[in-house]
Amino acid sequence: MAYIDTSSMTEYVAEQPATSPAFRSVRRLMRRKLAVVCLIIILALYLIGIFAPWIAPYGYAEQNLDASFQGPSWEHPFGTDRNGRDILSRCIFAMQTTVAITLATVATGGIMLPLTLGMLAGYRRGWTDSIIMRTGEILSALPGLPMLILITVTLRPRFVGWVENLEDKIGTNWFTDTGFADFFLIFFVLSLFGWVGGARLIRTQVFTLRGADYVTAAESFGASTPRILFRHLMPGVMPLIVVGLSAALGAIALAEIGLTFIGVGIQPPHPSFGALIADGSPRSVFENHPQLLLIPGGVVCLLILSFNLLGDALNDVLTSRNR
Amino acid sequence: MNNRLQLGLIGAAAALILVIAGVLLFSVGGGGDKDDSASGDETPSASETESADIESGGEGELVIRGEDPLFLDPAVVQDSGSASYLVEIFSGLVRLDKDLAIQPDLAESYEVSADGTVFTFKLRRNATFHDGRPVLPEDVKYSIERALAPETASVVAENFLGDIVGAKDMARGRADSVSGVKIVDDSTIEITIDAPKPYFLYKMTYPTAYVVDQRQIEGNPRRWTQQPNGTGPYKLAEWRLGEQIILEAYENFYLGPPTLKTVRFELSGGSGLVAYEDGDIDITGVGLDDLERIQDPADVLNPEYSQVTRQSLDYIGFNTNVPPFDDPLVRQAFALSVDRAKIAEVILKDAIPVANGILMPGVPGYTEVQKTYPYDPEEAKRLLEQSKYADDMPEITLAESGAGGTVGPTTEAIVQYWSDNLGIDVKIQQAESGTFFSDIDQGRYQMFHLGWIMDYPDPEDILDILFHSTSRQNNTRYSNPEIDALLESARVNQDAEARLQTYQEVEDKLVKDAVWIPMFYDVAHVLVKPYVTNFELPAMIIERYREVEVDRP
Amino acid sequence: MDGLSGHIIRRLLFLPLTLLIVSFAMFYITRWGPGDPISIYSGQYRDEEAFDRVREQYGLDLPIYQQYRIWLSDIVLHGDFGPSFQYRDRDIPDIIFPKMWVSFRIALFAFILTFFIGIPLGIYAAVKRGSWIDPALIGTFLFFRSIPVLVLVPILVLFLSDRWGLVPPGGFDGMFTASMVIPTIALTVPGIAGVARLARTSTLLAMDDDFVRTARAKGLSEYVVITRHVVRVSVLPIMTTAIGLDLVSLIEGALFIEILLGIPGIGRFVFESVGAQDYNVILAIVMIGTAAFVIANLAVDLMLIVIDPRIRAGQRGLN
Repeated sequence: MAYIDTSSMTEYVAEQPATSPAFRSVRRLMRRKLAVVCLIIILALYLIGIFAPWIAPYGYAEQNLDASFQGPSWEHPFGTDRNGRDILSRCIFAMQTTVAITLATVATGGIMLPLTLGMLAGYRRGWTDSIIMRTGEILSALPGLPMLILITVTLRPRFVGWVENLEDKIGTNWFTDTGFADFFLIFFVLSLFGWVGGARLIRTQVFTLRGADYVTAAESFGASTPRILFRHLMPGVMPLIVVGLSAALGAIALAEIGLTFIGVGIQPPHPSFGALIADGSPRSVFENHPQLLLIPGGVVCLLILSFNLLGDALNDVLTSRNR
Repeated sequence: MNNRLQLGLIGAAAALILVIAGVLLFSVGGGGDKDDSASGDETPSASETESADIESGGEGELVIRGEDPLFLDPAVVQDSGSASYLVEIFSGLVRLDKDLAIQPDLAESYEVSADGTVFTFKLRRNATFHDGRPVLPEDVKYSIERALAPETASVVAENFLGDIVGAKDMARGRADSVSGVKIVDDSTIEITIDAPKPYFLYKMTYPTAYVVDQRQIEGNPRRWTQQPNGTGPYKLAEWRLGEQIILEAYENFYLGPPTLKTVRFELSGGSGLVAYEDGDIDITGVGLDDLERIQDPADVLNPEYSQVTRQSLDYIGFNTNVPPFDDPLVRQAFALSVDRAKIAEVILKDAIPVANGILMPGVPGYTEVQKTYPYDPEEAKRLLEQSKYADDMPEITLAESGAGGTVGPTTEAIVQYWSDNLGIDVKIQQAESGTFFSDIDQGRYQMFHLGWIMDYPDPEDILDILFHSTSRQNNTRYSNPEIDALLESARVNQDAEARLQTYQEVEDKLVKDAVWIPMFYDVAHVLVKPYVTNFELPAMIIERYREVEVDRP
Repeated sequence: MDGLSGHIIRRLLFLPLTLLIVSFAMFYITRWGPGDPISIYSGQYRDEEAFDRVREQYGLDLPIYQQYRIWLSDIVLHGDFGPSFQYRDRDIPDIIFPKMWVSFRIALFAFILTFFIGIPLGIYAAVKRGSWIDPALIGTFLFFRSIPVLVLVPILVLFLSDRWGLVPPGGFDGMFTASMVIPTIALTVPGIAGVARLARTSTLLAMDDDFVRTARAKGLSEYVVITRHVVRVSVLPIMTTAIGLDLVSLIEGALFIEILLGIPGIGRFVFESVGAQDYNVILAIVMIGTAAFVIANLAVDLMLIVIDPRIRAGQRGLN
């Protein structure tokens, strides 16, 4: 469960930078049925997650002790858990958690950090490069999952206290009530360790691009660094990011599930697939009520598989030479 | 496509599959019978040869699952994992028998002075350490003083030995010896306590008061616990951290050689029930969701099943100092609006009984009288309306300990009842184990879900420790002069009957005042193989293997 | 060659600095957390006065920078990682090395299998490019990769152990025992996809290389071309590049497997130590883990240089 999987990106770097315009890539992608199916599945799951409160038939914490451990029925298509909560609703709300975590992490650690740092390192070289890359080297040398656990456990009380203080000042309870305080913490930690791989690849890419004529030309016209980075270098790096993105989304989702499973991620009662899987995986529960593990597990599997297949297709499309 | 290539690759794949299958088959064959498994295992451990002999699961050996102890110093222990080994390896002046009555142990007999403050112990002549050296009064005195000494770094010593005159001075570094422990002659020792406390001898059964070997400790201060020279019925023969522990009978044990020669504790592994069914272990606990099957008389395992009530209570505690629980009416309303029987039935599969009071079955003073509030949502609503927070209920959070898993389904069900019946949405805070107890100490929580396990079977160990207003463990901050007075009188009451009545009165008042909502007692469900005889799971952590017999078919 | 050896020497010199920075940061992070090991260890026995006395015994009452100075000098001068606050009578290496050894043996098995299954299948898929076999194989690998370990393990336990009674339900009895079956499968199955995909891509690349074309043009059979030329050029580098990646993910996947199966490995132990805030143990594990990672990566780079003539010529962009 590496958080940011870079194996698909590695393959890309070994090849030539893509020169085909974006629309041609999209058209090529759309020609692949499997990739389109994956894209639709991902979009559907994400929409379900975003509109969870309107879609879910029950609340995620709504209990009914008279309906404990029920099998699938019309009222509860996926059955109920020990406390008589509707598994379908809990899965839908768990999807909401996954959506929030993956998008927030990708926006920070998944794209912004590696993109900015990688481009900066590749373009400026010298001291900037050294500092960024050495920091990355240290971070990536640390054993990842233990560090994630350690930092979440250590930071949570301080972080929650800090959020509560903030809430008192602005007079709201929204962050703690919705569990967003936990989300922020987890994507902060995931981002902290997640940017290194991406930044390295982007840096290498920028190394090759910065010698290109149009960049040299822009430089000679006295364009500012941010302008060169974002106007001239960004397009060349973009395919790399798109390919990395689909791998990263899946890996981040899995990391959150893992952290929550061992009890250091999203805190109850907010649902997460990690918590659902933890509820369903003890042997005696699984033996008697297999759906409690297989349904959330199946949804996760479907999501990750879609990300993997899509990532594979993107890799082929964006990096393929003529076939 | 080229045929040869295809064939070659298929051949390579087939060969691989065969190899893998071979490895799996070989290992499956080897694993069914534990004898072979030791051969491939090269754990860096000193006692490699020994373990190979012992791992036969043979005659006179009991194999069970165990928890990893942290380390085996009786003076410091506070975790049940370590305690369950300490009670077999070490022993003290007195011990608890299977009925939880006090029996002389290293002491052959003891006398209590008329005023109840001086205890004179006569040591057994044949009591020896595992290395054969006789146990002398000097050893007892050394052990008590060592437990209290600040260098020993024990957080519990003062708790259990603090009643001895001079013990607190020693613990705080103000004295080099404990004045209340006196050597009378070469087989007699006298212990003086600060007040006539009938429960003092109970405290002496706890590992803190066990006898340790001064020579060994001073010869090897940091590592003696890896091969402790104790006085108990078993010697520690092997301990591979996280893997296994082997206890071996001490043939010269003063109460006679143990019938059970070795006990092997497996410290890791998956489901205990599956391992039990496979015949890998002889005793196992049964989890909630397997209970239904095992309790069915038709099940093959049913004849091997038994249960024992343990002295432990699961409860909801209120911080009686902060709103809204400083108003007893609110506490009572909360107590009345939880259907504990329903939770026990649905969530806990009736594995454990609903508590009818604070004292649990087996503790002196326990009665079957229903002391706790019944489930009565109407009455609860009425009380809540009368309370001073009726129109202005503050936000309420329930704290539960521990990262590492989801909030207990019981807690979630309890909170649901409050929401349904009182219209109050209580938030659950899963507190970090690191700060949970110190936050409770500092009164940071409004209410908490917690358990209490008795250290010795006396009501003092729960009522006085947790509800006296000056006690350090008073986590509800409950302060009631009337209760304090009753508790203080019970402490030194020499009339056992009257003393217990006082405790029952205290219990009654506490439950009515709804300082706690006592939720459930604890019951252990165990399966024991038919060839294991004389094994009885005790209600507390006490020595239990000495008389067990194993007659493996 | 100069650049390369310089690069390696620089990385070796960088290691102590890395360890110093990491240990300093870790020291502060661990002590910044809620509570302390003494308070956690004591559970419901609340006696702050006694706690303070115990803290004094362990030097936990000193300012953090002073604690760090003592810790650092102990480790540099005496190789002493300091006391464990839970397992008080053991040296930290005595606690963690046996656990690392358990995890290592489990990972090693899975590691070898992953490559032995992944590489031939990846090459096969590449050779079969254009037919249905290639996407079917890759799709199957990806499907296996997508099953979360947390779901896979309970399923394996239910069938292999509970239903069919082939293997014990968990634990670790040694390297060639039935207890290895479930962890090996659970670690191998998701890993194959990565290796196979890498093998496939590099085989495809190698097949277009000039010397392969030359070999074909010489009229050598496809079988000979693939085994003699393509595999030598493509497979060996994959093995080395993937080692680093794969080892990391194996060790991380191991944490969940160890928790689920009750295996006394290092992953589960890290988790327990964080829970108990056993500062020195956490520090020691992170230090050893970091050093091992850096050295392993260095070794991989060295191996690559030996194996791949193109890198020896200095073409690979070293970061």
